Amino acid sequence: MEKVAEFLAARVPGAVHAVDPFPRTAGRVRFDRDRALDVFRAVHDGLGFTHLSMVGAVDWVDHREVVYVVWSDARREYLLLATEVPSADPRVESASAVWPSANWHEREAWELVGVTFDHHPDLRRLLTPDGYAFHPLLRSFALHEPEELEVKVRDV
Amino acid sequence: MGRVSESDTSPPPAAAREAAAAPQPLPMATEPAVPFVEIETLRAREFIPAAKEALSALLKEQADGKMIRPVFNWAGRNSLFPLHWGLACCAIEFASAFGARWDAERFGVVPRSSPRQCDLLIVNGTVTWKVAHKLITLYEQMPEPKWVIAMGNCATGGGPFRTAYSVVPGVDKLVPVDVYIAGCPPRPEALIDGILKLEELIRERGE
Repeated sequence: MEKVAEFLAARVPGAVHAVDPFPRTAGRVRFDRDRALDVFRAVHDGLGFTHLSMVGAVDWVDHREVVYVVWSDARREYLLLATEVPSADPRVESASAVWPSANWHEREAWELVGVTFDHHPDLRRLLTPDGYAFHPLLRSFALHEPEELEVKVRDV
Repeated sequence: MGRVSESDTSPPPAAAREAAAAPQPLPMATEPAVPFVEIETLRAREFIPAAKEALSALLKEQADGKMIRPVFNWAGRNSLFPLHWGLACCAIEFASAFGARWDAERFGVVPRSSPRQCDLLIVNGTVTWKVAHKLITLYEQMPEPKWVIAMGNCATGGGPFRTAYSVVPGVDKLVPVDVYIAGCPPRPEALIDGILKLEELIRERGE
């Protein structure tokens, strides 16, 4: 964990707020969302975490959090990357330029929690039909009668 | 065991014999509406519309199809072909119903893989809004006459996911449903019972 913190402090100075311990991982890196791409490159190229396992997003009501879980085959351990985005402007740079597998994970995170990923190659809805007007895993999303959801029938 | 009773071998009474000797005249059409010899010489592309025209003319001619329609009804309701389409856990019960133990093929129910060959859509599972237009497309691809069975609580009314953001609350919002089967999931016996209920329904409607 200390090695990760030292390396990132030297490679991308000022981008990483803290590296916290996290069970069964190499640590939890909290970084500045404006320098996300630099951190991704440093973690991928410098530390060798070449596999992106998961992208998640959490709605903490006052802000939202995006979590990346990356894996290193050489080190055989996970690393968590977390960044906070404000609810008023939930946007972060896409990781799909560094890890191509981030594509669909980020589509899902955008669709369900409403975090926009800049420079994403294909930010479309994945699980809900096209034209769906909600981000349903937000805590502000209220249960409503299903009749309000209009089915989009494809023109055949 | 296997012995023939005396009443079966004894000759029928004279009155019954006379009735059997004079058969009732069948109401037959004197001339077919379209000469069938012409149809045999048609090319394949022209055959189906010509045959359809001939059949519909024949149906109309024979007192609004009073003769042929029961035959079609009997044949149709005893050879329901459901679409081989699985959505959720009800599809496991659906598959079991056509396996060796329950063997729904006893009733002429054979799952087919193409909607063009099917006249029965068994919606077995949770239908999400994402898959809704696919279900409608499959239903529209099936030839008339066609029927729909909503199998399980999810297809009937959304089930435990009724208020979920992604689930259609009952497949009857999308396609007309003839038979609802309750259960989560219903056992194969329940599915077979629903299919038999549908057969009764087809018989009553006389489609």
